[in-house]
Amino acid sequence: MLIALLASLMIQQTAPEEAPMIMAALTQETVEIRENFSGAELILYGATRGLTIEDEIVVVLRGPDSDLRVMQRERNFGIWVNRAPRNFEAVPSYYSIASTQPLENIATLEALQRNAIGLRQILSEPNQTESAETRAYREAIERAGNRDALYSTAPRGVEVLDGGLFRATLVLPPKIPVGTYDAEVYLFRDGRPIASRTTSLRVVKAGFERWIYDMAHDWPLLYGLLCVILAALAGYAAAAAFSRR
Amino acid sequence: MQIYLPIAEVSVNIFLLLGLGAGVGFLSGMFGVGGGFLMTPMLMFIGIPPTVAVASEANQIVASSASGALAHWVRKSLDPKMGLVLLAGGIVGSVFGVQLFAWLSTLGQIDLIIRLSYVGFLGIIGTIMLIESLSAIHRRSRPDARREGGSVRRKRTWIDALPFKMRFPRSGLYISVIPPIAIGFVVGTLAAIMGVGGGFVMVPAMIYILRMPTNVVVGTSLFQIFFVSSLTTVLQAAQNQTVDVVLALLLTVGGVIGAQFGARAGRYVKAEDLRALLALMVLGVCIKVGFELVLTPSDLFVVMPRGMEGAH
Repeated sequence: MLIALLASLMIQQTAPEEAPMIMAALTQETVEIRENFSGAELILYGATRGLTIEDEIVVVLRGPDSDLRVMQRERNFGIWVNRAPRNFEAVPSYYSIASTQPLENIATLEALQRNAIGLRQILSEPNQTESAETRAYREAIERAGNRDALYSTAPRGVEVLDGGLFRATLVLPPKIPVGTYDAEVYLFRDGRPIASRTTSLRVVKAGFERWIYDMAHDWPLLYGLLCVILAALAGYAAAAAFSRR
Repeated sequence: MQIYLPIAEVSVNIFLLLGLGAGVGFLSGMFGVGGGFLMTPMLMFIGIPPTVAVASEANQIVASSASGALAHWVRKSLDPKMGLVLLAGGIVGSVFGVQLFAWLSTLGQIDLIIRLSYVGFLGIIGTIMLIESLSAIHRRSRPDARREGGSVRRKRTWIDALPFKMRFPRSGLYISVIPPIAIGFVVGTLAAIMGVGGGFVMVPAMIYILRMPTNVVVGTSLFQIFFVSSLTTVLQAAQNQTVDVVLALLLTVGGVIGAQFGARAGRYVKAEDLRALLALMVLGVCIKVGFELVLTPSDLFVVMPRGMEGAH
């Protein structure tokens, strides 16, 4: 599929007057989490039509959204207590940006806001000045994501190859959640996106991991009973094995 | 070698888990305790989410208490009637504890409550145990002042004034069922919230409050722990989906082997020295958890999934 896509673009490139275009494909469309999973690395290949020397490319990979609660820690009678919760809705569980240049050199703030590129643009209300307090909460989400490598930026992570082709390496840390991920590619000219394309990626549990996970969620009571029986048998076997000596 | 835990959703070194199981197993075999109070904080420390650590540790306690309870059952060194009364309280406590756990999680305070319970209970038990064992060691050094066993006539206490008395032939007791049910309830609640078996609370309570003969105390406590932790595992699995069977089994494999060696090593140490060492270890965990409560955290904000579990 990847080869076909690139080939078709290569042929089309001979027609210079057509509108700029960008396409992309991932080396893998499904990432499987198995028992030995410890993160994954994907390569996104893309092709552009009408790429000029001033154009820049931005690649965004966004994981499934989830609702978060952020609380502030405050010292009370000497111990740290969580207080003042704030809820954030539809926060990406994974978010990474790779680009040919640092984002601020590529795009105007307005363009980023309009296209919801960048965590800051996603997490804060558009066209509103953010209070210092809200900002502290938002930054806490970003820090937490960075700690688990769920959020990342690679200001020079997109490599432009010959003939309008480009490549970006996307890193998925071990803690990634399952679900559908969207990979968006943008072609920027004069601070504004002139072409974009979305492709998707699925992260799924597979094999034994999936079997356990599905059972724990689909038949929780049966799963709990099985856990107990297994543990009791293990205890019994251990007692029997060692008492014989 | 990394292994991805299906429910905890983290990737952990398999030898770290086996080693942790063996290490805690060794100590629990040596001291004759379940070791949940050591294991659960360790699991949280290596990055297992608190909710999964607590629930999976309950599952591991099923395995360790099963082998212990079985051995005591064969030797008839447990009081099944007292065990059932303690269990009745334990079942209510466990159901209550799992609900409380879920409720505190939604408030975002579960980490705090787990830590406070650790500091409170381990601090009290550890201090009492340390004082008791040190005075025993002190008595040992003065042989003339030593008084072994001897049937000291029981004094009447407030316990004897309570109604609903029942006869417990194997313990040789005729007491009210209220104190054992209350003890069972507290232990069941602790099992659900702290991810412990609760032996460290139950054993002293049985000796000092119920005044049960020491030879049936450990067996009866294991009997109760086996059923309460089984119930806690099923409830946590059914309600919160937080039991990681892979994690529990890996810890069990390390644990049973470690426990055998620990039990052997324990024979070379005097009982009161063992109790003193255990008391120091209990206080050590208490202080460590206590520090986490008072030290300034690296991040002054916590981010957690909404309507679900603790911080990360």
